Amino acid sequence: MLRKIWEHRADYAYVLPAIAVMLVVIAYPIYYTIDLSFFNTPPGLQLRDKTFVGFNNYTTILTSAVFWKVTWNTLIWTVGSTVISFVLGFAAALALHRDFFGRGVLRAILIIPWVISAVAASYIWKWIYHSDFGIIGAVLVGLGLADRPPNFIDSVSTVLPSLIVVNIWREFPFAMIMMMAGLQTVPDQLLRAAKVDGANAWQRFWHVTFPHLSNVSTVTILLLAVANFNSFIIPWIMTGGGPSNASHIWITHIYELAFGRQRWGVASAYSVLLFIILMTLGYFYVRALSGNDRRDEGA
Amino acid sequence: MSTIAETSRRGQAHRRMRIDGWRWGGRIFLVFMLLYTALPMAWMLITSIKSGFAAMQFPPQWWPDQPTLASYQKLLDPQNSVGQDFLRFFWNSLYVSAATTVLSVIVAVPAAYAFSRFTFPGRNFLFFTVLLRNMFPAVIFLVPLFILMRAIGLVNTHGSLVLTYLTFGLPLAIWLLKGFYDNIPVQLEQAARIDGATRFQAFILIVMPLSTPGIIATAIYSFIGAWNEYIYAYTFLSKNEQLTLPVGIQRFFSENTTDFPGLMAASFMMSVPVVVLFLVLQRYFVRALTEGAVKH
Repeated sequence: MLRKIWEHRADYAYVLPAIAVMLVVIAYPIYYTIDLSFFNTPPGLQLRDKTFVGFNNYTTILTSAVFWKVTWNTLIWTVGSTVISFVLGFAAALALHRDFFGRGVLRAILIIPWVISAVAASYIWKWIYHSDFGIIGAVLVGLGLADRPPNFIDSVSTVLPSLIVVNIWREFPFAMIMMMAGLQTVPDQLLRAAKVDGANAWQRFWHVTFPHLSNVSTVTILLLAVANFNSFIIPWIMTGGGPSNASHIWITHIYELAFGRQRWGVASAYSVLLFIILMTLGYFYVRALSGNDRRDEGA
Repeated sequence: MSTIAETSRRGQAHRRMRIDGWRWGGRIFLVFMLLYTALPMAWMLITSIKSGFAAMQFPPQWWPDQPTLASYQKLLDPQNSVGQDFLRFFWNSLYVSAATTVLSVIVAVPAAYAFSRFTFPGRNFLFFTVLLRNMFPAVIFLVPLFILMRAIGLVNTHGSLVLTYLTFGLPLAIWLLKGFYDNIPVQLEQAARIDGATRFQAFILIVMPLSTPGIIATAIYSFIGAWNEYIYAYTFLSKNEQLTLPVGIQRFFSENTTDFPGLMAASFMMSVPVVVLFLVLQRYFVRALTEGAVKH
């Protein structure tokens, strides 16, 4: 083993810069977070005075009502955003697959929200949802559907769906790009053969196109799920987690615990729980990707 | 004879109707998506050319009575304090994003090449470690990284941001580029080596030019990621003159909460560079995803 490593010593030079950066910015923080999650810390970043408390931080989290509220929000946020973004993106990719006049322009316009900064997107939508001068409220009143403009993001019941709409606006283009790339790999001969055999459009999609895209679909859904689970900017800028925690998700809650209330130990314990969840997702992600590689080698 | 022709004609008409059904469904769906995507952006632009007074009306003015570019003039005027701040934030963002982009390409190209071509012990492990970086949110790295940056004296410098942004871009960059190198035949390099080129020369002269689209895609991705990043910039920088655009704009408008035309104009200006960059180079990006991310 050592001899093999020595023989390949020159190869490592190519990956060394990447690995070095990763070690400093990833491995060290992970170690540090796990360590800190077992300590009670005084406010401020003077961490010398921390005291060891064992699993106390973890029990504090798991027994608090806020934890379950925030977890439920995160679940709705992640699943809702991921599923709808994927379906809309996939449908748009299919609709854009056939050539027609103006396709390139339309595709470019649909991708723009993904490129715009989430901060800008949050402000645009905050203005659209504005409770006095918002355009959606004005349209609803104008059509006679509401007596006065609704309070989209200041009301406990509508805030989370309203934010999910913003998130999907920014995210469906990613699913669309991925699925468009995937669609180009579906062999035309197979589709034509299916047509000759009398398969209708839906059957061709379900039996030829879709199975071909199962791998890229898995990867896209996982990437979307991870990105949504990790979102921060949209809820943070638009509502700050309010009203009364109705739009707090895990990441905004951790940020508030750490930098707002300076409870570093509890925030670290939260982060460790997050690691565990993400590693589970990561396992499926790696499996989907390496499944890809294996099929390549077999072919 | 005539009945057969008739049935087949009817069959064709029937089939065309069904295909048309799908096509019309697709068109209606695309119109819906176009409205969903474009209307918020249009409203941003319309609001940005209103006066502060015109923006605060109910029902809103669908098109401003007196369109004005005052908000843009204010943001771009180096003479007043708003313009000074905005231009400085803009320059900071540009500088940080450009530095990140150049460094990402320098680090990702050799790494992706090695992951594609060499078989050294631990290759798969290292590759997936790199990919797993994608899984972790910025927030959980904040505290330790802040302490780390303080220890090496990078807090309140743009260096802290560049170093951190490098790690966002790298996983996808390496992944995309690896897919690219996988599709470049090894025989090309072998031919060059037989002609007397060293491995390094073969890499620079043969492989690099062939992977240009992948490198461009990687560069766009890093640039956009760095340009739009918010959390680290929000946490690592405290001096006003160092802020990047997303944080600068947020800080500015938390003090002027009712200047919605100004806010929309700033959002628009912040979006222009990345949108233009992306639109000009998008074919490289889509191609890189096709060849890199989506294996045949």
